[in-house]
This record gives sequence, structure tokens and C-alpha cells, in this order.
Amino acid sequence: MTGSHLFNLSKHLIFIGILSIVAGCATTQTSDDVGNVDSLESTNRVFFDVNETLDKHLMKPIAETYVEMTPAVIRTSVTNFFDNLTYLNVILNDFLQGKFDQGLTDILRFTYNSIFGIAGLFDVSTAAGMPANDEDFGQTLAVWGFDSGSYLYIPFLGPNTVRDVTDTVPSTFLNPFFYITSTILYPVSALNAINTRANLLEASNLRDEAAIDPYSFTREAHLQQREFLIYDGNPPVTGYDDIFSDADDEESGGTLVIE
Amino acid sequence: MKSKDQHIQPVFKILFGIYLFFSANLLSAEIEQKQEIQAPVNQLHDTLIHIMETADSSSFQDRYALMESVITNKFNTALISRVVLSRYWKSLDEKTQTDFIALFDRLTISTYVNRFDSFNGESFRNISIEPMKKNRFMVKTELTQIDDKPVSFNYIVQNDNEQWKIISVIANGINDLSLKRAEYSSVIKDKGFDALVTSLEEKISDLQPKTSQ
Repeated sequence: MTGSHLFNLSKHLIFIGILSIVAGCATTQTSDDVGNVDSLESTNRVFFDVNETLDKHLMKPIAETYVEMTPAVIRTSVTNFFDNLTYLNVILNDFLQGKFDQGLTDILRFTYNSIFGIAGLFDVSTAAGMPANDEDFGQTLAVWGFDSGSYLYIPFLGPNTVRDVTDTVPSTFLNPFFYITSTILYPVSALNAINTRANLLEASNLRDEAAIDPYSFTREAHLQQREFLIYDGNPPVTGYDDIFSDADDEESGGTLVIE
Repeated sequence: MKSKDQHIQPVFKILFGIYLFFSANLLSAEIEQKQEIQAPVNQLHDTLIHIMETADSSSFQDRYALMESVITNKFNTALISRVVLSRYWKSLDEKTQTDFIALFDRLTISTYVNRFDSFNGESFRNISIEPMKKNRFMVKTELTQIDDKPVSFNYIVQNDNEQWKIISVIANGINDLSLKRAEYSSVIKDKGFDALVTSLEEKISDLQPKTSQ
């Protein structure tokens, strides 16, 4: 491993280590409704506001220009290319979660797209009956029984949790781009960031239209979306009863009167 | 004289016939209950498809009127309002509660009319019904699209005065009720209930068409 790779790795490990310590030592500063899930809310809100300002004045305008100037078919190929690079991490986590059939199919998907899809530019695997799966190390830890830990809003990376941020390490090591030392790494990484932001334009516009508190909206949507992914799109229905507990208690006590 | 077997056969046939009769009735009752549980969701979907199909040829007001009929009759907005305001609900007087329910209705209707404003061959597909606690059911459906992945739309349905009504919508795993409860609690805590009402009025205004349609 070269010196630059060791530097990259150590940066990631130090970052995760600091986050873990901060999350572990944080006092509970939550509203009653969110419980302990956002114990770092005041810090998270600061990072969120900084991110939103940078996004509004920098990333979003660049992404919008990119969308205007780049045909959709090219943007799709760019998305496919970078998604394919991250697919080794999906495969690893398939096996770590015991999804062996899915893991084998995903190996085929990655191989097929890399060869016949010309380095992943074209997603020929989905048409061949091998659709993309979405697995990461945070989901693996959830399957193994680890709680999400505190919600985190990380500058530039966005919403996350203490558990899920650990995916940074395997996803970095398993991305072939980690091993590139050429200066081409920088413009390609910039293209990845802009393309990713472009793909999120519709979702962010939807949030801006719907949300009256964008921070809370982003947090809740992210946490629920993670649960959805952990259960492969089929979370247990029992989890949805809790929100009605107050209304149920009042009804059984005979005091709830809503006309 | 008839043998023992000859006596048993008719009795067995009668018992089996009774069993089939009750099974058929139970099955029929189960199917009927499922249809009743599914009914508000089916009606919502039919209305959504209709307003999408007619988005170019009908006015916002016409589509609003169609959605209003569904939302006010097939959603239990009173319970939804109670849940999204959580502990703050009890601190409101009856008139404020009633006003909030009406405001929430307008927000819901405007949001649906604004979002479902074009048609590209979409359709809804019923998947399953799963029981929850307190006689609630999760109705699972998906929105299929021609050039995109299907979107999961699940609904929590509860019986209210002999009528099944929708009390929550979960789109691709995101529960609208939880989302709103978190937001509204945050706004009330930081700025007060009146600020929440003002924000919701502004949202409703933003969802209206910019020019009259």
C-alpha cells in the first residue's frame, strides 16, 4: 500500500473515531418526540445550515447547469459508471448479511456490466434480469443487531448515523478509484459529486416544496429510508403502531373526544 | 339390511356439506371484509389516476373538488391531526382543534392535486393487507411507472364509525405521519403553534397555481 493510500485510510479512520467519541460523550439534547435518536441536534443543525448555504450558492447551481448542458443519456451513463464502481461493496455486504443467492447474482451483475456494459457505462444487467441491489455496511450492522446510534449530519456528506457512517471504510477500500494516484482523480471525483447532486435535484426540490422545517424533514426521511433499505423494502408493520400509542391510550381510557 | 359403511357414507356427506357451507361463508365474509378495508385506498387511487389523466384538460379547482371529496370522506383527518400535533393537541381549545383539522385537510388536498399533475401511463397495483394492532390494517400497494422503478405506497387504515378510513400514507418507506409530527413538533417548540399555522397557510398558498386555471 502506497503512502497516499495510507494517508487516505488514516483520515477516514480518524474521522470515524472522532465521531464515535463525540457521539458517545454527547449529552441528550433532544425534544421529547425524537427521543435519543438526535442527541447531537444542536451541532447537527449548525452543519445542516452550513451545508444548505454551500449547496444553495454552489453545488445546486452547478448541478442545474450540468443538467441543462448534459443530455440525459450521458448523465445516466455517468451514474451507471460510478454506481458500478461502488458495487463491490454491495457484493461484500450481500455475503456478510447471509444473502448468498443475492451475492452471487450481484457478482454476475458487476461482471456483466463491467464487460458488456463497457466499464459500467451501460446497465445491461438490469435488462438481463439482474437488477441493482442496495446494501452497505451500515445495513449489515443493523442486520447483525446493532442500533443506529445517534443521527449525524456530516458536512458535505449529509445525513447519516453513527452506525451507518462506518460504511465509509469498506466502501472506500472496495472502490477501485481509491487506488488511483493520478491527478485524473480530482476532476473525476468532482464529476461524481456534481452528477450525484444532479440526481438529487428532484428530491431536494420536493423537500423544499413540502417541508416547513427542512432539518427535521431531512432527518426523519433519512432515518425511515434507512429502515426501508435494511428490510429490503418490507419493514415489519408492527413498527408503525407506536405513533398511535397516545391516541390508543386515550381511547381505551374513554377520554378521547374528537368531533 | 344396510352395512355399517352404508350408514356412515350419508352422514359423512352431510357433515362435509355443512363444513363446506360454513367455510364458504367464512371465506365470503373474509373477502367482503378485505374489500371494505381496501375500499378507501381504491377510491383514492381511482381519483388520483383521474386527476392525473385530466390534468391538462381540467382546472386546478375542478381537480381540487374531486380530491376534496376523497380526502374529507376517506381520510380520518381528525385522528391524523391529533397524532401529528402529539402532546400539543390537548393544549388547544375545541375551536382551534377544528380549525386545524380544516387547515390540514386543505394542505392534504392541495398537495395531492399539485403533485399528481401529469399522466405517463401510471397505475396502482394492490399487493396485500396485513393486520396491525387495534383493528388497524396495512394496505400494501405500488405505483407502477413505465420508465421507472415502481414506488411502494402503503396505507394504514382504521375503522371509524363503521367506515374504514386512511390514517397514514407510507411512500417508499417514508411515513408521512411521522414526518409531519417531527416537523410540527420542532416548529411549535421553537416558534409556537401560531407560527406553525402561518407556515402551513403559506405552504397551501405556494401549492396553488400561479395563474388561474
